Amino acid sequence: MAVTATRNGAPAARTRRRISLTPYLFLLPHMLFFAVFVFYPLFRGLWISFQNYDFLRPEQAQFIGLDNYAALFRAGSTKFNEFWNAMKVTVQFVLLSVPFLVLIPLGLALLLNTRVKGANAFRAIYFAPWVLSAAVISLIWWWIFQSQGGLLNYYLKEIGLPTPRWLSTMPYAMWTIVIATVWWTMGYNMIILLAALQEIPPELYEAAAIDGAGRWSVFRSITMPMLRPVMIFILTMTIIASFNLLAQPMMMTRGDPRLSTGGGATQPVMYRIFDEGFVRPFQGSAAAMSFIVAAIMIGFSYANNLILRRRGEG
Amino acid sequence: MKKLLLTVVPVLVILSMLLSACGGGGQATQAPAATTAPAAATEAPAAPTEAAAPTEAAAPTEAATTEAGGATPEATAATGGETGGQAGTLPAECANVELQYWNPFTGPDGPFMGQMVDEFNAANPNIRVTMTSQAEYYTQLTTAAAADTLPDVAIVHADQVATQAFRGVLRPIDEVVTAMGVSGDDYPEAVWAAGEVAGQRYAIPLDIHPMTMFVNMDLLEAAGITAAPKTAEEFEAAAKAVTSGDNKGFLLTGGFPVQQIFQQMLHQFGGSEFNAEGTEVTWNSDAGVQALQWMKDAQAAYSEPNLEVDAELAAFKSGAAGMIWNGIWQTTNVTGEGVEFNGIATAVPQIGPNAAVWAGSHQLTLPAKQSPDACKDAAAAIFIKYLVDNSVTWAKAGQIPASNTVRGSDEFKAVTPQVDIAPSVENAIFPPSVPGITDAFGPLGEAVGAIMNGTETDIKAALDNAAQRATQILEENRATYGDAPQPAQ
Repeated sequence: MAVTATRNGAPAARTRRRISLTPYLFLLPHMLFFAVFVFYPLFRGLWISFQNYDFLRPEQAQFIGLDNYAALFRAGSTKFNEFWNAMKVTVQFVLLSVPFLVLIPLGLALLLNTRVKGANAFRAIYFAPWVLSAAVISLIWWWIFQSQGGLLNYYLKEIGLPTPRWLSTMPYAMWTIVIATVWWTMGYNMIILLAALQEIPPELYEAAAIDGAGRWSVFRSITMPMLRPVMIFILTMTIIASFNLLAQPMMMTRGDPRLSTGGGATQPVMYRIFDEGFVRPFQGSAAAMSFIVAAIMIGFSYANNLILRRRGEG
Repeated sequence: MKKLLLTVVPVLVILSMLLSACGGGGQATQAPAATTAPAAATEAPAAPTEAAAPTEAAAPTEAATTEAGGATPEATAATGGETGGQAGTLPAECANVELQYWNPFTGPDGPFMGQMVDEFNAANPNIRVTMTSQAEYYTQLTTAAAADTLPDVAIVHADQVATQAFRGVLRPIDEVVTAMGVSGDDYPEAVWAAGEVAGQRYAIPLDIHPMTMFVNMDLLEAAGITAAPKTAEEFEAAAKAVTSGDNKGFLLTGGFPVQQIFQQMLHQFGGSEFNAEGTEVTWNSDAGVQALQWMKDAQAAYSEPNLEVDAELAAFKSGAAGMIWNGIWQTTNVTGEGVEFNGIATAVPQIGPNAAVWAGSHQLTLPAKQSPDACKDAAAAIFIKYLVDNSVTWAKAGQIPASNTVRGSDEFKAVTPQVDIAPSVENAIFPPSVPGITDAFGPLGEAVGAIMNGTETDIKAALDNAAQRATQILEENRATYGDAPQPAQ
């Protein structure tokens, strides 16, 4: 806008004022919503995390400084075992799910990018689960994996194979959640990767073909480097989304199998925070947990960016 | 022309940004704490189960808000009118009082309660009660409390009364109870005590829902057992006789309700979870070790190992299990029309030297209000009295009426199998009425679940560890809640 105004020959002073004001006016509407729904809750949450806070008895809230955080880092406190167990479960889930959530969509996108017949139909089929709600997909997979009359064990029994307790023994319980999540969300990453693949200029492939490059070297030297920015985006988003795991274990395993030291073997940290803040009345402690998780997520994302960017430059 | 474009285009752009900002703002609300998580994996859940008190539903249930009425079950002979009408009359100045009534009955029990509300509305033209049943119940109640939009009457589970009283969700109702003419003499002692917090009454028991034994009589008879077992010897004989091949005599899972079964066995062997004041944890006693050992042995002898929560219900329904213990609310699910064999519900056997049965209880309460309304309170008292007096209808939903009078009535004697299970509620156990007591059960659930699932093998160590953590939780709760509920401000 500003550039066009200058071309129009408006006086310099007016132009400068326009330059300074217009973009902010454009930003203002979103800023308002950002302030009300992100900025304010963020700082309010931080403030609550320094208090012994119950939202039903705000008048009895006490400022206790960093005690909520200290309790989470002090072995032997009532929060310590359950919180760090949940943290461990969450990181396990991230490490198990993210590779599949990136590699399977990449494979599918590459296949769909080869102008197969009915590519549109396949694209819709792979993407379809993503439109379902977490509750629905959890219930579907619960029915498949449950031990008594569940679909999987029914057929395993029919063909005379052992029938493990998928939802209540480790490591199966964690894998059921990984499988349900991958099936549910892989379509989303696939669509983004497919769009990115189609953005790669065909001249690059033509040039490679003229030079006699093989499939693998085309993939390694053209496709992958061209996908890198999108890959960084997908990895970051997928890691954050996997960190936010909640509904699938809540409905499929209820965090079981339980551990006598505290928590459950499939109880992720969001489950812990929900329990602390809504089932139990400890919003202060729940807020502190949220901030620790947020810090860890930011760390993860930052490290991920650093590693991928550096490799891109090298 | 160019000038026109220059002025029109920015206006349009700003307008469209305003619109898209509305959309963006809406999305931003889903991530209150720092994260920006957009599309992919995991959104907040759609309130799958009653998280606070795991007493109600079995498999993941759907949330439902039902207006009273709609699909009422077979409208049995109007038990209403005759006994209910005279419970009390509205003061003269009150007319057309509207009452909001909340409960967690989202399952098949909801329509029975809806029928009672309809009958009450028909019998009391001056009062109109609107019933709302919802899942994730305590989250709903507490957020409504924060917004001062609590209903006029609400069901609260016995083990939640103290917590919700201390959090200012409920108000004391001693005067209302006296005016109603309801007293503790008409109730088993333990269930009445559960409604009293720090010397004041907050709740009136509606029902008691005890742990119940479900028996596949076809399997037992095929194994030569003709009656449901009542003693330890009979129970073990029956479980042993049925267990062969794919058939199991008695199934125990690693999830709900094994913690409740442990509590019951603990009391049967002479122990208790807490001291009477709810200040000390005592479940790691010899009785506790004995109780959990009995469960582990029973699992090894008669059950499949490592079952997940609710798997015993599925197995029982498929006809492969002789006996299971679960809440009485499973009656319609696993007996009668619900199964293809002769499935019956009966009282749990007495294994240890003492009679004890785990139970929950739905209690009627008056939630706290910033500005109470005398007319609504009077109407609420009439409504509560009606529900208590007519709880035979409610019994048909699979509950045992808490009132001794109703349990002794001829009408209730016709309600099977509830009438056969009813004597066991005389020995129902309830936790001490102190706030946050359900938090203290958390470590116990983990210990019992870990033992039953085999992630831990040392029973004494698991119970000790859980007791030590629960003791800490009790101490923290005392510091958090204080000695008495703060009066509403």
